[in-house]
Parts: sequence; structure tokens; C-alpha cells
Amino acid sequence: MLKLNNIEVAYLNVIRVLHGVSLKVDDGSIVALLGANGAGKSTTLKAISGLLKTEDGEVTDGSIEWEGKRIDKKNAEEIGKSGIIQALEGRHVFGHLNAEENLLVGAFNRKDSNAIKQDLEMVYSYFPRLKDLRRNIAGYLSGGEQQMLVIGRAMMAKPKLMMLDEPSLGLAPLLVEEIYDIIKRFNTESKTSVLLVEQNVRVALSIAHYGYVMENGRIVLDGTAEFLKNNEDVKEFYMGLSTVGTKKSYREVKHYKRRKRWL
Amino acid sequence: MSMLVQFVITGLAIGMIYSLIALGFVVVWKSSGVANLSLGQLVLLSSWFTYSMLVQAGLPFYLGIPLVVIFAIILGWIIERIILRPLIAQPILSLITVTLGLAYFIEGIVVIIWPLSQAYLPRFFPTEPIHIGSAVVTQEYLWAAVISLVLFILLSLYFRYNRMGIAMRATADDQKAVQACGIPVTKIFSRSWMFACVLSAIGGILMSSIGGIRPGLVETGLLAFSVVILGGLDSFVGAMIAGPIIGLVETVGSGYLANFIKWPEIRTVIPFIIIVIVMCIKPYGLFGENRIERI
Ligand SMILES: Nc1ncnc2c1ncn2[C@@H]1O[C@H](COP(=O)(O)OP(=O)(O)O)[C@@H](O)[C@H]1O
Ligand SMILES: [Mg+2]
Repeated sequence: MLKLNNIEVAYLNVIRVLHGVSLKVDDGSIVALLGANGAGKSTTLKAISGLLKTEDGEVTDGSIEWEGKRIDKKNAEEIGKSGIIQALEGRHVFGHLNAEENLLVGAFNRKDSNAIKQDLEMVYSYFPRLKDLRRNIAGYLSGGEQQMLVIGRAMMAKPKLMMLDEPSLGLAPLLVEEIYDIIKRFNTESKTSVLLVEQNVRVALSIAHYGYVMENGRIVLDGTAEFLKNNEDVKEFYMGLSTVGTKKSYREVKHYKRRKRWL
Repeated sequence: MSMLVQFVITGLAIGMIYSLIALGFVVVWKSSGVANLSLGQLVLLSSWFTYSMLVQAGLPFYLGIPLVVIFAIILGWIIERIILRPLIAQPILSLITVTLGLAYFIEGIVVIIWPLSQAYLPRFFPTEPIHIGSAVVTQEYLWAAVISLVLFILLSLYFRYNRMGIAMRATADDQKAVQACGIPVTKIFSRSWMFACVLSAIGGILMSSIGGIRPGLVETGLLAFSVVILGGLDSFVGAMIAGPIIGLVETVGSGYLANFIKWPEIRTVIPFIIIVIVMCIKPYGLFGENRIERI
């Protein structure tokens, strides 16, 4: 189980980004972390994975516990080895490596070469398209294929907790659904917990068990996916639906956003 | 005519040694973006170390050479761990400057430990000349070329199939994503410096077994540098192809043209003339990696 207790994060010692964030991810569950651009979602993931330190960020207060041990002072390598893997926002494939090499890099810290081969086949069974493209240079794959590759690479690490940062970003709706189905299947079949960062609230809540809504570095609302889906505020601000179910114009939403806060 | 053929063959062969040393530059550049300006000094240092092993300590080749390689690996480890790692995330200029500082440091050390102006290594290779047509070529050059080629092939295989090799290429592409996979990039930087030092050491052994150990060995670094500029800073194949070109131009320039142009220094200048021309025409070098950009 992953637990964040009131963490505060600052970049360069001065830019305070998170102001007391608490959340938890139960073993085997899918948890969605939702919120608009700049809310601090990616920062939260980087605080957990330890990547924050490479960006001059620091957890200045609070604690992060993973399987009962504090990890907020550990570096990315130790945290990765303890079973938490983050897939960065924005499809960071290794552009000059072919697809299969990209996947193998994901398994770098594992020594069990037979199991690695099996998992490679497992990833190919989740993403049959990657199998056809295994010898293709990753930099030239389409956006959707690259996203599959990034998720597959995270799978190859055999993580206990997989953190995905906006996997739907910039992808066609059909492709998003396909990828989300696969994330869900992977979660049920391998019992891997998933912490999912999304702005696409509708699709995230379609597979998540629990969700947190973040605004300006704070959690402003949380609850089961069912609860959030039916919450009027979530519907209005994040799904673009008013109570009657019609789409709101962007200008109106923006106007509301500025004035209304949950806390 | 036979003179020309002779110069062409030795030039190509000696250029292969430059390629080898240049590969050490490319490895470090690709994995950490650091331009290593101490190549020539590394060549000099390991040549003298070889001298200590083979001549001063009188060890046989099969013991001495592996010891030199081990020395180079340790040297690479030390350089990365002590000099470069504390500077991670500092401006790239500091990293480059520190390699320049390292260069002078090594030169100083060499003078202190080996206060000789020059020395010779035992001959490794048969010295009987080989006749190619009417030209006469010293066998040593051909052996050096073969060894360089073999090492290049081994290195290519390493980067294609080895877990660490693939991760090193991945780091060249996206350091952040490598860290997100839980891979310690410091280990990768460290490995790249070990490669650089070992390649410089082998290059140094080959160079000095043929021409002796002289302070002028340091210039090999400049030549290797012109090789990577010509071939492209991030291209192994580029280094392999550019080396013989530079070697050819240098040797033909010094040996052949010198008969016509009364200016012996032309030898050291030609490679740099090439660099300037290449930089003007193809700033990324002949084989510089094309940036993959998708929209
Ligand atoms: N490396 C950084 N240095 C300084 N500020 C940063 C850095 N990364 C993010 N921030 C700031 O932190 C805030 C939250 O960013 P982020 O966590 O990326 O939000 P989200 O992922 O929710 O869009 C933003 O205001 C952003 O400008
Ligand atoms: Mg983000």
C-alpha cells in the first residue's frame, strides 16, 4: 500500500507546489488523480517515484510510505527497485531504439532472463501491434503506438505499483478506450496497483476504483469512482456537463472556475 | 606512385587507431553529453603505464596488457566518480572545463612519474614489411587496423545486444525516462568513462608500440577530436569512417605533399582545415544523428 501523508513539495526551495497532499493507493486498486493543468499531479507522481530530486524539487514536509516504509528520502533507483515505476507524461520513448529494445530497457533491473522473455510475450499479447512493430525505430511510431510502448515498458519492470501520467494525452478517443481497457486488464490479471493521472476525467473514472481531485496543489475532493462520477461539481468542471447534461461552453466554464473553489 | 600507395595504406591504418580513440569520445558524449577534452592525455598516461608494466616491471604481454586494461577501467571509474559526478546537473560548460582541467592534471602527473622525454615499448607485432604491389608497408600498421576493426565490431555488438549497452543508448535518447525506469544513470556514465579510458589505452598501446612514447602523443587527442567532428559527435559509424579519412589526409599530407610544398607543418594543420570545412557544410558531421521529430 502507498500512503502520502500531508506532503509539501517545493521546487528550488522556493516554488511551493504541493500544500499538504494526502492520498493512498490500496494494493491491487486503480486510483485516479484528477485535475486541471498545473494542479500538481505530475509533481505528486515525481515525489513518489523520487524523480523530483533530479528536478531540484524536494518533499519538504509530510511523508510517503510504501509497504510500511518511508521512501520520501530515497532516490529514484531505490524506489524503482522497490516496485514503483512511473511512466512520464508525454510519451518518452527512446527514439533511436527499436520497439523491443525500448521494452527491454524497462526490464533493466531484473535478472530473471526467462521471466523477462515471458513478460515480453505478455506485453505483446496486450499490445499485438507492438509485436508487429518490434523492429521499428520507436521515434517513428505513431503517437498511440508510442503510448503503448511506454506503458508496455512500465509493465516490463514487473512493478507492484504502476504510475501513468496522462496516458490519454493527444490520442484519438477510440485509441484511448483501447489503451484504458488494457490498463484495466493488466490491473486485474497481474494484481498491479495503478495510480493514474488524468485530465480526461470521464475515461479515468471508467476504470478507476477511487479518485482524488486536485486543485492548486491540494486535494479538494475524493471518493469512489461511482461517487465522483455522480458529483455535480466534477460533472460540471471536469466532464464539461451541466446538471441537465448539455455541454457547457468553454467561456462559461472558465468563468466559473475562477470563482468557485471546493475549499 | 608506390610511395603514394604506401602512404595511403599507413594513413588508413593509423586512422583506424584514431577511430578507436574517437569511439571513446562518442560513448561519453552520447550517454552524458560531456565533451571529453582529455583524450590525448589519457592516451599518453596509459602508454606510460604500459611502459611501466612491460619494460620497467618486465611483465610478459599476456599479463601486462590485461593489467593496463584493468588500470584503464579503474581510471575511468575514478574520473567519473570523483571528478564528474559531483558536477551532475551543473552547466555543461563546467563539465567540459573540468575535462580540460583533467587533461592538464594528467600531463602534470605524467611528467612527475615518468620524467623521461621518450621511451619505446617492446614490439608486439612482426616487423617484416609486407609488399603490396610495388609498395612496402610495415606489418604493424595492418595489425593495428585489424585490432581496431575487431574492437569496433565487439563494441557494436555490445551496444546492440547487451542489457547495459542498450541502456546506454537509451540514456543518450532520454535520460529522464531512463531514470523513470529505475535505472541508475550514474552507473551508465561510469561505464561510458571506463569505455573511453580503455579505448584510449588500447589506442595508446598501438600508437606507442609503433612510434614510441613521446609527449607528442597528446596530439592524438586532437586528431581523435577532429575525427568526431568529421564523423558526427554521436555516431560510432561516423567515427569509424572519419578516422581513416583523417589518417589518410594527415599521412599523405605529411609524406607526399611535403615533397612539393616546402612547409613540413602542413601535416598538423590539414586535419583542422578539414574540420572547419566540415563544420561549415555539415555542422552535425558526416554521420551525425538526425533528430527524430514527430509532430
Ligand atoms: N521543475 C519545476 N520547477 C519549477 N516549477 C515546476 C517544475 N515542475 C512543475 N512546476 C510547477 O509546479 C506546478 C504543478 O505542475 P505539475 O505538477 O506539472 O502539474 P500537472 O501535472 O497537474 O499539470 C506548476 O505551476 C508548474 O509550473
Ligand atoms: Mg502533468
